[in-house]
Amino acid sequence: MGPATREEIMFRFILKRVASMPLLLLGVVTLAFVISRLLPADPIASIVGQRNLGNEEIVAAAEAKWGLDQPLPTQYLTYIGNLLTGDLGTSFQTKMPVSSDIAERLPATLELTLMALIIGAIGGILLGVISASRKNRAPDHVSRVFALIGSSLPIFWTGLVLLFVFYAQLGILPGPGRLSSRVIPPADVTGFYTIDALLQGDMPLFWDAFGHLLLPAFIMGWGLMGTISRLVRASMLDELGSDYVRTIRAKGVSESQLMRGHVLRNSLTPVVTILGFAFGAMLMGAVLVETIFSWNGIGSYAVEATRSLDYPAINAVCLLGGAVFLIANLVTDIAYPAIDPRVRLS
Amino acid sequence: MNRPRLGKLARTKGAIVGVAALATALSACGSPATTSAAEGARQLVIARAMDVSTLDPQRGYCDTCQIIFSAVYETLVTVDPDDPSSIVPRLATSWTVNDDATSFTFELDPDAVFSDGSPVEASDVQFTYERMVNLQGSASFLLAGLESIETPDAHTVTVNFADPNSAFLAIGAAPYLGIVNEEVAVANGATAGEDAATADASEEWFLQNSAGSGPYTLAGYESGQSVELTANENYWGDEPTFPSVVINEVTDSSSQLQQLQQGDVDIAMQIAPDALAQLEGVTGVTTEVVDSYNFVYLMLAPGAAGGEALEDERVREAIKLAIDYDGVIDTTVGGYGKTQGSPIPNGFEGSEDQELPSQDLEQAKELLAEAGYADGFTISSAYPKFAVYGVDFDVMMQAIQQDLAEVGIELELTPMEYTQWAEMLGSGGSPITAVYFAPDHMDSSQYVQYFGMVPTGAWSATASVDGAVVNQAEVDGLAQALTETGEDRIATYTALGQEMADDLIILPIVNPQLVLAYASDVTGVEYSPCCNLDLAGLGIQE
Repeated sequence: MGPATREEIMFRFILKRVASMPLLLLGVVTLAFVISRLLPADPIASIVGQRNLGNEEIVAAAEAKWGLDQPLPTQYLTYIGNLLTGDLGTSFQTKMPVSSDIAERLPATLELTLMALIIGAIGGILLGVISASRKNRAPDHVSRVFALIGSSLPIFWTGLVLLFVFYAQLGILPGPGRLSSRVIPPADVTGFYTIDALLQGDMPLFWDAFGHLLLPAFIMGWGLMGTISRLVRASMLDELGSDYVRTIRAKGVSESQLMRGHVLRNSLTPVVTILGFAFGAMLMGAVLVETIFSWNGIGSYAVEATRSLDYPAINAVCLLGGAVFLIANLVTDIAYPAIDPRVRLS
Repeated sequence: MNRPRLGKLARTKGAIVGVAALATALSACGSPATTSAAEGARQLVIARAMDVSTLDPQRGYCDTCQIIFSAVYETLVTVDPDDPSSIVPRLATSWTVNDDATSFTFELDPDAVFSDGSPVEASDVQFTYERMVNLQGSASFLLAGLESIETPDAHTVTVNFADPNSAFLAIGAAPYLGIVNEEVAVANGATAGEDAATADASEEWFLQNSAGSGPYTLAGYESGQSVELTANENYWGDEPTFPSVVINEVTDSSSQLQQLQQGDVDIAMQIAPDALAQLEGVTGVTTEVVDSYNFVYLMLAPGAAGGEALEDERVREAIKLAIDYDGVIDTTVGGYGKTQGSPIPNGFEGSEDQELPSQDLEQAKELLAEAGYADGFTISSAYPKFAVYGVDFDVMMQAIQQDLAEVGIELELTPMEYTQWAEMLGSGGSPITAVYFAPDHMDSSQYVQYFGMVPTGAWSATASVDGAVVNQAEVDGLAQALTETGEDRIATYTALGQEMADDLIILPIVNPQLVLAYASDVTGVEYSPCCNLDLAGLGIQE
């Protein structure tokens, strides 16, 4: 047998990583289970309400109903057993199966995060290119300040201010929520309102959903834009100083071709790494934007679950977070060799 | 260097075109894609931070539930909006009470029908009440002491209690006692049997469906997002003005305000009092400040670890006198609040003649000196990080901390998440904590049952270093009040209010007012004592 082809190596690599995922996720869930139970806090309080804390009958009935009267090992084994059959349990708070809660909320956050990622990546690369090609001149300085503001101001503040300016004062961008008031959401296909609106051919609905995405996605993507623009600028300047650039220039290739065809492409490798991590971080850290923009996503679900010590929901969110992180990492690793032929999987 | 001038110009043009396209797109965003057609028949949109965790009326227990349940389900009786102490018919046309207030007989309106067109019958009442008790849900305590229910005919129902319970008519008006269509509920997994707490499997069904006789039916619910109600086509009473009502989850108070300003919502339910000024002079928006029955209080627990100093009544009195109530009300709710004399809130029977608390630093210092604390002392306070009815507990506790420092008491504050605070209460408690209370119904008995030094009292167990405290005057007074009506009952509750004020365990700090903010063409926006906001009572100005 000859040496493995590039495709075979890639396939084995993916297989190995995917095979290790269940074990890693079991670890995540076990950790989440143990930590949430170790907290000096009582989920019964949020189930029965403050008024009933002293009512032994009501507390006992609630404990029995939710299985909280069982010893911890039994609770753990029951949970893992259910998990293996795909049952994530029922949320203490929403009283719905956690899987349907997540199915309802995840698309909202995914749509927002992807939009933020697109805004952050495109904006960041554009700013980076402008900065690199106009090094130390006005456009570079402006882009630097813009990036700095985006990465340093707290999201809840920029969120409130931009909402105040563009929604409450100027009225040119729509307000909180995924759709305007009195607008009926599209039939649920993907859970992405923009895509579902397009699927049913309703353009006004598409624009409504799209408009609602802009402000929160920009606010989430702004910080990323800053990071990426700085990164692109630095690596482009590095590339511009290298020998091959001198050779290409000597060959008489136009400056824009050089930038687009060679320098930028070579500078994008670190951006891919950042995007992979940023996607995971944004997905799980969307809570502030979700709160300000009344966005019913997974971030606010996670916070609500933690606050009320909703065990099944906490575990599920940890599981989801772990899975997103592992998948984002895997995708990043696969994307490397595609962008940069110098990188090889082994 | 070769500068691509033309290319740059082309890019600039491209950018301009792009911006123009975006602007066109955005102006499209400004106009809603799909709206109800006729003005006057629009969908009513409400912005609210919701606290819903179930929509089963016999399981629910929350402020938002009150609004939804009272629109979808109907109680036997209700309170008169103009005189909350007076009980008026709803499903029942008339009722009689036996002499010792243990037996209540209701005659049901023969016209009353559920949303599926079937008549509301005595068996539905029996099913609802028995299910409420056996579910052992959060509001089950409302029917504590229920002994039996008789249904001599389809339109007569008698509810019997073990002990006198003159509060029952008021309790019967609580939205959690909304009557459920037995047949429909049972078909979807509900049971009223003794094993209902574990055997009833209808909770998920109730999240998307309803089985009531009220002016609205539940059209849909998405937790964390919205609740939608549509007018009940088979409603046996007056048709509500709005064909459809949606309550949107808007957690942030300033977002609520902006949405109201922009006309995206008709009613914003939790506008912070300090934001009122921003709505002044805004065309098309009406604001009002109204009294509420809610209050926030300090609970003193001599029996909690580290609370020994509070065992001396003079120390508790000194704490009460050291607090600058007006200052706290200014700091927390911008002055939109009142002081309250006892755990019976302003407006309830027994509250009229209570002396209101006020600051007296000199007397506080004297009392402390008499009690042997001339140099003050240090005491801890763990409290939940609530922000309710406009009162941010952090802000309130810091203000109180400063007030107590004036008389030499150093208050060590430990803010906690609610679940952590609850766990702490169950394992020793905190010498001083802060809590809030909103009424479940319009009878004052709930305040004695919860705040009194009585066996059912929530805070009596830690009221002394020697263990649970029983104030016999309160036990007897409560039993007596539950046999009485009218002036006699008012006199008894007034005495009970004084007793509880003298216990010096519960110190009411602020009775916050409510901000009503709504589109000016919406009529009937009022704070309803039973139901928070009566959706069926809302209309549109001609």
